[in-house]
Amino acid sequence: MPVSASAIYFLNLRGDVLINRLYRDDVGGNMVDAFRLHIMQTKELGTCPVRQIGGCSFFYMRISNVYIVIVVSSNANVACAFKFVVEAVNLFKSYFGGAFDEDAIRNNFVLIYELLDEIMDFGYPQNLSPEMLKLYITQEGVRSPFSSKSADKPVPNATLQVTGAVGWRREGLVYKKNEVFLDIVESVNLLMSSKGSVLRCDVTGKILMKCFLTGMPDLKLGLNDKIGLEKESELKSRPTKSGKTIELDDVTFHQCVNLTRFNSEKTVSFVPPDGEFELMKYRITEGVNLPFRVLPTIKELGRTRMEVNVKVKSVFGAKMFALGVVIKVPVPKQTAKTSCQVTSGRAKYNASMDCLMWKIRKFPGQTESTLSAEVELISTIAEKKSWTRPPIQMEFQVPMFTASGLRVRFLKVWEKSGYNTVEWVRYITKAGSYEIRC
Amino acid sequence: MAPPAQSQRSPSPSQPSGKGEVSDLKMQLRQLAGSRAPGTDDSKRDLFKKVISYMTIGIDVSSVFSEMVMCSATSDIVLKKMCYLYVGNYAKYNPDLALLTINFLQRDCKDEDPMIRGLALRSLGSLRVPNLVEYLVGPLGAGLKDANSYVRMVAAVGVLKLYHISASTCLDADFPALLKHLMLNDPDAQVVANCLSALQEIWGVEASSSEEAAMEREALISKPIIYYLLNRIKEFSEWAQCTVLELVSKYAPPDSNEIFDIMNLLEDRLQHANGAVVLATIKLFLQLTLSMTDVHQQVYERIKAPLLTLVSSGSPEQSYAVLSHLHLLVMRAPMLFASDYKHLYCQYNEPFYVKKLKLEMLTAVANESNTYEIVTELCEYAANVDIPIARESIRAVGKIALEQYDVNAIVDRLLQFLEMEKDYVTAETLVLVKDLLRKYPQWSHDCIAVIGNISSNNVQEPKAKAALIWMLGEYAQDMQDAPYALEGLIDDWEDETSPEVRLHLLTAVMKCFFRRPPETQKALGSALAAGLSDMHQDVHDRALFYYRLLQHSVSVANSVVNPTKQAVSVFADTQSSEIKDRIFDEFNSLSVLYQKPCYMFTDKEHQGPFAFSEELGNLSIGVDDQRVEANDEDLLLSTTGKEESLSQQTQGALLVSLDQTEPAAAHAQQTNLVIDDIFGLGLSSPSPSPSPSPSPLLKLNAKAVLDPTSFQQKWRQLPVSTSQEGLISPQGVAAMTSAQTLVRHMQGHHIHCIASGGQAPNFKLFFFAQKAEEPSNFLVECVINLSTAKAQIKIKVEDENASQAFSNLFQSALSEFGMV
Repeated sequence: MPVSASAIYFLNLRGDVLINRLYRDDVGGNMVDAFRLHIMQTKELGTCPVRQIGGCSFFYMRISNVYIVIVVSSNANVACAFKFVVEAVNLFKSYFGGAFDEDAIRNNFVLIYELLDEIMDFGYPQNLSPEMLKLYITQEGVRSPFSSKSADKPVPNATLQVTGAVGWRREGLVYKKNEVFLDIVESVNLLMSSKGSVLRCDVTGKILMKCFLTGMPDLKLGLNDKIGLEKESELKSRPTKSGKTIELDDVTFHQCVNLTRFNSEKTVSFVPPDGEFELMKYRITEGVNLPFRVLPTIKELGRTRMEVNVKVKSVFGAKMFALGVVIKVPVPKQTAKTSCQVTSGRAKYNASMDCLMWKIRKFPGQTESTLSAEVELISTIAEKKSWTRPPIQMEFQVPMFTASGLRVRFLKVWEKSGYNTVEWVRYITKAGSYEIRC
Repeated sequence: MAPPAQSQRSPSPSQPSGKGEVSDLKMQLRQLAGSRAPGTDDSKRDLFKKVISYMTIGIDVSSVFSEMVMCSATSDIVLKKMCYLYVGNYAKYNPDLALLTINFLQRDCKDEDPMIRGLALRSLGSLRVPNLVEYLVGPLGAGLKDANSYVRMVAAVGVLKLYHISASTCLDADFPALLKHLMLNDPDAQVVANCLSALQEIWGVEASSSEEAAMEREALISKPIIYYLLNRIKEFSEWAQCTVLELVSKYAPPDSNEIFDIMNLLEDRLQHANGAVVLATIKLFLQLTLSMTDVHQQVYERIKAPLLTLVSSGSPEQSYAVLSHLHLLVMRAPMLFASDYKHLYCQYNEPFYVKKLKLEMLTAVANESNTYEIVTELCEYAANVDIPIARESIRAVGKIALEQYDVNAIVDRLLQFLEMEKDYVTAETLVLVKDLLRKYPQWSHDCIAVIGNISSNNVQEPKAKAALIWMLGEYAQDMQDAPYALEGLIDDWEDETSPEVRLHLLTAVMKCFFRRPPETQKALGSALAAGLSDMHQDVHDRALFYYRLLQHSVSVANSVVNPTKQAVSVFADTQSSEIKDRIFDEFNSLSVLYQKPCYMFTDKEHQGPFAFSEELGNLSIGVDDQRVEANDEDLLLSTTGKEESLSQQTQGALLVSLDQTEPAAAHAQQTNLVIDDIFGLGLSSPSPSPSPSPSPLLKLNAKAVLDPTSFQQKWRQLPVSTSQEGLISPQGVAAMTSAQTLVRHMQGHHIHCIASGGQAPNFKLFFFAQKAEEPSNFLVECVINLSTAKAQIKIKVEDENASQAFSNLFQSALSEFGMV
């Protein structure tokens, strides 16, 4: 059994119940109290998201200022339960239009109860697809046929589709202008040793899509990934074009993608859902282009003084630039005074995070910037304890750059009415956890 | 009509209990009930919202039940849903009022709108009132045959709800057969999935009592059904796919071609965006190939990439759930993951629970080629600000060292840790150096030089202090200061709070004495004196034991305390492979996260009598403490430690005989007995066997009470009146699935369990009983080893006269269970 959750609770940070939905009788009534007493009010909070209290297991997740708790009494499938929570939150977000927090829940609690009723029955997950649910859970108070017999009845129609095979798209969509937006979003994770060698580096990317297309279109996406290209050249008996090919370590697709065809022909073909969705996710560990190099030197001069020197080099194309660059250089807790000099941007000591915050709004490619700072420390009694240096952390966004080198080669849209579509493609690379030890 | 923006922010619970407001609501609802004026629905909505929000925050609004029901005659679907929710919540406690709702629910079940039919049917099932089930059967039967798939989908789960309220009604109506028919024929995949879930649950429960149900359950994993479901796999929703894949993983294909067919069919599931589907597929692949070693290995290679992707995507909670599974696989086949060690490096901001698993995996995958990198990385963490992580990583370094790769460099690193001069680092390192020395005595020279420089004042943690003291005793010859360091520690005897440290101190000073008698004699004297007057039973006992041993013969004492030791070759694994296999069988469930098979946490019996009360739970642990410690030592100290655990047990016997002031012969015999026991030679006991004399009828108090503290006290004070060992019949072994089964059985005989512990095959239970008329207690310790099918029983009584009677009674109770 995948989940068979006994109950779901939404609590705020104080432990007040915002929503409770009991699906089964096999757990006692005081589950919230147990959760509050044994998890929220103890140091346990945040130590492990799965805990057993009495005969029940609690899975909890914090999302903005809300805890979502699933209680089970059996040996449930945890991965499934967490995924369910994540999907449910996405569903709620798509209903509230963005934010999911305590206020949104309080303002929409009837809607949430309604949805909880549909997405899970007796602890078993049912239909969570927002496209389908929105057809019949509207909060508009759909009058049943008695009151408005003349209205075009969307309801019976909807229920037919609720469980249909192409669950992600409904028939009869019409757009004046047919457009597709593709966003390739990559986040680079880096762990570099103090000596400048890369300990660990990978890219997790996703392709987000926004479709405004008429009818039931068939889409085909071509990327410059190695396997896809090889297969193609094999089929067309033509040698692979020179140029960079990317080796994807692993790919996962939205349920709309025809996986059988991907496995046989290595092409990504699909009938897209309407609106926004995540088409695929991938992971790459080989041949990652790091957008930034960081060269730190931190010298402790005696007990009360430190010299910090950080050089950051951008190694992407000169025509490109990075936005929102933040470099957090750690300093000891007992920092008293700092003086920073930077070649670009601004740097400031942030006492609450124990770091020097160096912000550069726009960082052009193939350039270099340095921070040199002097840090004065308060001398403390516990001198012996040397400072354990946390890594330097970095945030950035580089538009039109992919750390993996992935490119969209083509996106073909085919629909029986044969309309023209406009396709938009954007690339962006963000910092995941970009850490440099110093 | 969007939800009104001013929809009241529901009151926080800090506001008054809402008594007055509830009666206000009641009034307003009553006014609206009959009204047909336009706009009534909107005001009803507001009121209903209020009621629901009160209900959510825990205010009892059951008093407006009848008004809510009166207002429920509405065509507004949102209103209906709120009303259903309310009714579902309170019907159970107001069965009479719930009857009122049956009428309109039944009517709604025949509504022309399938949405309303579905909703009504779902709510009808959620009433959970046993005497209303008769009203449920009709609509459910109709629902299963409904033309609309939404209604059928709801009805399928409805059957399961009915089953949980009244199993007999559900079976009498022959619903399972209907479900099965639907499952095999319904065009809608979600209906099929719900039927499957319901049938799995119903037949799963019924199987234990009905052969027919057991056969049906088996039939679910028969080839036709499995193939039928697999052929439709793509129609199912992602959640239903999980259910199906889980079912398929129980199917054992008869030949390898079939296995490959299934795997080929499902390979693309590994690319599914839903991690739960991917994990379910992984489980299926692993289970299918269990018997084909080489394919099994290929499966590992194949699933590596998707697993690593899942770990690195999603929230920390999700990646923790996946990581636990990766952990399990890594522990099963570390070599297959040896080249992926870099994926297991911790990120600075990761939560503790993720880091801990990663550290364990890093330890497991270490081999000749990657040890250097891994240890270097681990040493980085040792300097981490997060102290628990720093500790874990030092332990990890130690474990790798014990695995023998590149010990030389690692010992250097460990010794460098000591130079970091951080208390917790030093503490962890000391414990590790001790273990290392026990495995590689040849390193003693290097280590001793560094250890000798550590001042015991800087070591506060008991484990570390004990390790340091052990080394002082063991290497007294090589450490110049050993006797003086020990002397200093003995001077602070009074301030030493940990009994473990005091115990080690006694042993160390003994060891030291035999190596450097003149320097240690004084220290030994004061240690023994301090030990004899120690409040802690174990410490007292050990001191007394050493004292008598020395009196008896110094050379014997020397051979007991300083035997020639062999280096420990392998440290005992804490978890049996049997348990590990069980966890593996339960892949993709909680078992993997808890790292124990599910019977240990789902069976109610397993949670012990104190599971719900933390305070009492602690006390019960107190009773067991001794055993746990002893076990620990058995496991960890192995050869070297044996003399200690042995002495501990022996003292136990000594103490008993001393208290009883029995002749020395008896006590020697008993000592032997206990020693035999330790080596697992224990045959049946030659000592006080129960004479079959007719005993006066003994009546026990059914509601006896004894709190754990006084139990502990009495257990310490009283002598053993009967001690016995018996065999357990095969039926007994089978019945003893958990300690709790025996506990319940004994409760039937008015013998109560005060504490129980252990896991198959070893259990230890403490029982007590009281005489019916007078508060005279009987205390029993029962140690059960299922693998040898033996049970050891020790009975202590407050009233010697009733001893025989109770012992007979206890045994007859046990023999009913299949023991003795």
